[in-house]
Amino acid sequence: MLIQLSEDGEILYAPVRHNGAFDYKLIKGKDVEGIVYNEAKPASPLKIFFLPIRLNVSGEAKPPGRTIILGATSCDIEGLKLLDTIYIDKDYTDETYLSRRQNTIIIGTPCHKTAENCHCTVYGLNPWPGSGSDVSLSSIDDSFILSALSEKGDNFIKEVRKRINAEEPGKSDIENIRNLNESTAAEVSSMNDGLPGTKETGSLIVKANKEFWKKHSDKCVSCGACSAICPTCTCFLLIDRPGFEKIKQQDTCQYPAFERVAGGEDPLRELSVRFHNRYMCKYVWKPERFEALACTGCGRCIDTCIANISKNEVIMELT
Amino acid sequence: MNTLTKEIKVPGLYRVLKATVDEIIEESPLIKTLVMTPDEPFSFKTGEFIELTLDGLGEAPFTPSSSPFITEHLEVTIMKAGYLTEKFHNLQAGDILGIRGPFGRGYPVDRFFGKEVLIVGGGCGLAPIRSLLYTLIELKDKVKKVVLLYGSKTPTDCIYKPMFSKLNSIEKFETHRSADKADGTEWDESIGLVTKLLDKPRVNIDNAIAVVCGPPIMMKFATLRLLELGFSDDEIYLSMEKNMSCGLGKCGHCMMGEFFVCKDGPVFTYAEIKHNPEIWK
Repeated sequence: MLIQLSEDGEILYAPVRHNGAFDYKLIKGKDVEGIVYNEAKPASPLKIFFLPIRLNVSGEAKPPGRTIILGATSCDIEGLKLLDTIYIDKDYTDETYLSRRQNTIIIGTPCHKTAENCHCTVYGLNPWPGSGSDVSLSSIDDSFILSALSEKGDNFIKEVRKRINAEEPGKSDIENIRNLNESTAAEVSSMNDGLPGTKETGSLIVKANKEFWKKHSDKCVSCGACSAICPTCTCFLLIDRPGFEKIKQQDTCQYPAFERVAGGEDPLRELSVRFHNRYMCKYVWKPERFEALACTGCGRCIDTCIANISKNEVIMELT
Repeated sequence: MNTLTKEIKVPGLYRVLKATVDEIIEESPLIKTLVMTPDEPFSFKTGEFIELTLDGLGEAPFTPSSSPFITEHLEVTIMKAGYLTEKFHNLQAGDILGIRGPFGRGYPVDRFFGKEVLIVGGGCGLAPIRSLLYTLIELKDKVKKVVLLYGSKTPTDCIYKPMFSKLNSIEKFETHRSADKADGTEWDESIGLVTKLLDKPRVNIDNAIAVVCGPPIMMKFATLRLLELGFSDDEIYLSMEKNMSCGLGKCGHCMMGEFFVCKDGPVFTYAEIKHNPEIWK
């Protein structure tokens, strides 16, 4: 099916293994053989397809061609809900974001393996795709089981069926997938025993004192990797270029001077305040403000931190 | 509603409207007003802000200091505080600027109707207030009284000097000024912090609202004094200065707790934001 899609000229991205890790790659011909199915999250968050690191936002948005993204995991798909809320709000819609969202088919894959820092279930998610993606795909015994999760996904499956031979999945296959899904969920839960949910984490963070944040931020080098890799971090910098062009570039509150104003005031001047700000944003401010999770438990910020700061260990110390 | 089916209503979210600088008025050694003519009539509500772009160099948020009833011209008052504001100060008549906006939530003027309005301004914070004053002059039949208390560092730093005598000649309007310290120039008003002007009763607090705009430290102490005087939290309107960058509630640079100041503000009541201890930073 995927070879067919690729040969038909579809823009298809899927996770491919490279040096022990796996990440999204534009799939051409033979690449199909290297696709990783039903593992935990790829190295990059799904947001990279909708919020490129750097983008010229002057003038009319040029909608990209239809793009199929295979291999999105539940944590990343859930992260899109916050992105949608911010970028497609009632007053100002970011057309570069919207056109990318409209022209993308997201084929989510249930996680049938876990990775070291996965903790989606702690925040009420299941490790399999739900609303927010279009199709769910499971690879079982050399065959793919597809199910539609949206109207777009339904149409896509119908379209695929016209191009290739496909059968209805057997009852045992469906049962098999359900068991694999449930066992992953149980594993993620047991890996994170005692880690509090979003609301409780928020209450604990609010109560923590300045000394606590100073102690934990001591090793932080403000590199911003935790934000770059986070499926829900959306902040950006607008850069001016001649001709009144505006370049939108990924940014983070972890960088010094993020909130500094010309008069010199800088609410996030101190490292520990910036560090604390990220926790507040994820567990207090965004959840208060929006009906979407601002931490979906992917664990990438823990994977990526060069100072070995574990967000979950920081939170556990408050329990 | 499925947001993905939404149609784009405002194409070119980051597009600028070009404007030509007509005149540069020196208000004080550090503050200048740029008078400009936008390529198209430009409407805004008092207290809303714009992003002013210097081509290729950067942009910064300013609340227009001109009357919202005038759409052909726009005035922006700028204090020299850094790299970009210095470039704005060096502009000449005929130079081209870019405008984005207007953005945010300005002064809810209709909530001032039937009331006495006590305005406390400091330094360049008088810029948004001037636009509010122009608005209140147009609507003076609807308010009971307008009292402006303004503080600057020295008499020389006082901006819009000709405006004060004009305001004092308008029925229902009165102004009182204070300079933190004398500098030898002629000054027949108070010396001391602007909050000292609040020591005398200026309005009937039972039927008044207060507006505060100025440097964070001045806003903090003015707000605390107003509370002492008996103003309730939801009767004090604060114009917050944060790093408003995109103006659209997206880039995150102006976040103040759960608020995007650029979209939810910049005007807030004290009641809305007082739970956040970081607001004065």
